[in-house]
Amino acid sequence: MNELFDLLKKLSLEFGPTGYHKPVYNAIKEELKDYSHKFESYTDKAGAYIVRFANEDKPKLMVSAHMDEVGFMVTEICDNGRLRFGNVGGIDPIVMSSKRVISENGIKGAIISKPIHLQSAEERKAVTKPSDMYIDIGCDTKEDAEKYVMLGDLFTFISDYTEFGDGFIKGKALDDRIGCAIMCHTIKEICRNDLELNYDLYFAFTTREEIGYSGAFLAAEQIQPEYGFIIESTAVGDIHGAPSEKRVSTLGNGGTVSFADRGTIYDRSFTNHIMDVCKKNEIKYQIKQYVSGGNDSSCIQKSAYGTKVAVMSCPSRYIHSASNVVHRDDIESIYRVLMCLINTGYRM
Amino acid sequence: MEEIKKILKTLCDCPTVSSSETTEFKKINELCAPYFDLIECDNVGNIILTKLSGKDDAKKLYIDAHFDVIGLMVNKIHKNGFLSVCNIGGVDARILPSSEVTIHGKKDIYGVVVSTPPHLKGDDKSVPKIDKILIDTGFKDDTVKDFVSIGDLITVKGEYMETQNGYIVSSYLDNRSCGAACIHALMNTERKDLEYDVYLAISACEETGKMLSRTALFNIEPDIVITTDVNFAREPDIEKRHSIECRKGPSVDISTLTDRDLSRSIIRLAKENGIPCQVVVEPMGTGTNNDALAITGKGARYAVLSLPLKSMHTTCESVNLEDVLSLSKLLSLIAKTKESQL
Repeated sequence: MNELFDLLKKLSLEFGPTGYHKPVYNAIKEELKDYSHKFESYTDKAGAYIVRFANEDKPKLMVSAHMDEVGFMVTEICDNGRLRFGNVGGIDPIVMSSKRVISENGIKGAIISKPIHLQSAEERKAVTKPSDMYIDIGCDTKEDAEKYVMLGDLFTFISDYTEFGDGFIKGKALDDRIGCAIMCHTIKEICRNDLELNYDLYFAFTTREEIGYSGAFLAAEQIQPEYGFIIESTAVGDIHGAPSEKRVSTLGNGGTVSFADRGTIYDRSFTNHIMDVCKKNEIKYQIKQYVSGGNDSSCIQKSAYGTKVAVMSCPSRYIHSASNVVHRDDIESIYRVLMCLINTGYRM
Repeated sequence: MEEIKKILKTLCDCPTVSSSETTEFKKINELCAPYFDLIECDNVGNIILTKLSGKDDAKKLYIDAHFDVIGLMVNKIHKNGFLSVCNIGGVDARILPSSEVTIHGKKDIYGVVVSTPPHLKGDDKSVPKIDKILIDTGFKDDTVKDFVSIGDLITVKGEYMETQNGYIVSSYLDNRSCGAACIHALMNTERKDLEYDVYLAISACEETGKMLSRTALFNIEPDIVITTDVNFAREPDIEKRHSIECRKGPSVDISTLTDRDLSRSIIRLAKENGIPCQVVVEPMGTGTNNDALAITGKGARYAVLSLPLKSMHTTCESVNLEDVLSLSKLLSLIAKTKESQL
């Protein structure tokens, strides 16, 4: 299992905000290079990487995870060399203040705002508006800054991968490099063990999930799967003092299946099947207890001729910040569910 | 430049929250021992580095750089492994959510500051008060008590990072940047050139307003006292009179609590020797250790030298290395100049 977490660490550290996921894509391809004679693969026009284990007479299952992460795009290079930016994906402004960032060209900077000593009483109470924040890359004039960045350049958080406490992990972009790492590892295991699969099985590493105009749409319209199994991260309220009805799910209690979120009402029979797989194989899982969030399922469900979708999410604290926190057990559970699912070949 | 950078990085790698300054005495000693005559701690946590001139009747020069950094302290340990905290010094709660921390317990424990998810915040979009801030230690129950106790100090992580044009980013540049300049200055000033016996006080508890540097000064009874600290770097949203510019050298405070002649002599000295330097006017006091030192013991002649620092009291404080080096040069020059010429 350590191989899975080593891979997660590697993918977490790769640069890949929506719009420039190439480093993640390259890392995944590199990881699978030695096995590529055992599967078909292609890169679609939107940049998704698709791996197929062909089984023409079996039902088509598309397993999907997105490669992109949240980030920032440079919208203005100011006269004093500071960079104004727009969000790429939904980021709570309170987690932006005073965080380090890095550009697609490796230029490091910091998101900075006014020192506390000089803030008015009102300012101290209010979260700084993103429009009042800027990235400081250590340039004091526009001319100088233009040597290092151009309009439209992307930045992401700088954050290392840290294991702490009782099996917890902190990192950036764990949403959804967890899904990518699990899929990658599963593909390797299939290849190494020549597993017999009961699906015509596709793995789609997709793009543009974080901004909602998902590349999973295009991937699914080409694959036209009967079933879609989406591996994701879900924001949870699993913190001290949160009322139980708003905890959503709990870290360490297993992958989280949903019946509904803001984007999708999931296919009940396929979701039940996922839970059966868990029960039969004694894998921990939990059911999402709050209707919130959304993911690529909504696109995949209504793509092409329609897809029966189910999701399994890794519960994540402080999602879309520099410090996503997840639990090892949940990642292992989701990996095991996926392995059991593709081997049982349950047909509805 | 590499030498001063190395000193600065060493200091930034061992942050000490107010009241824990001497926990890193060993590192200071290792770094400085070859260049000083004596390095010792006093009763309240100041570390005093002495470099003697070897001259009879040498006057005494006291240089202050506070060594403490702002941070947090464990206030309560909850059953589910989360901690409540209070602040030590002027911590800006706006920058805390999703920041990383080190809890200095029985061993160093890693933690993440909770960022409340939007669905739990409801309509309250304000900055959480410090007493509502929680730290996630990743322990599922109160086994965290095996390592963490109430009262343990916490540093907010912000590791040393270089950006463009010689800018350094770190959580601890207030006041490790001045500390690095002072140490570098005295490392690079030969004994025979010293006009003074020099006492560098790496002092305690400035950030909490306790300004314990006084006690070190009381004991030494110096003739000249130079306080080094950071000041606000100019930004569009910071008033000119409250700030100084990066890459224009250290500033000299002109204030009612500093010695006019000494301050102006320092400015002249900088000009004559091609060291960039700027002036900041603080009519009612400097807001640094100087103001406490000015009412200590028998008194002395005082001056304040400051480094322009961006984003003070955040995890992304930023200073330019050229400025740090200029401060070092200026301090060295002062130490080599007879008091009668200052």
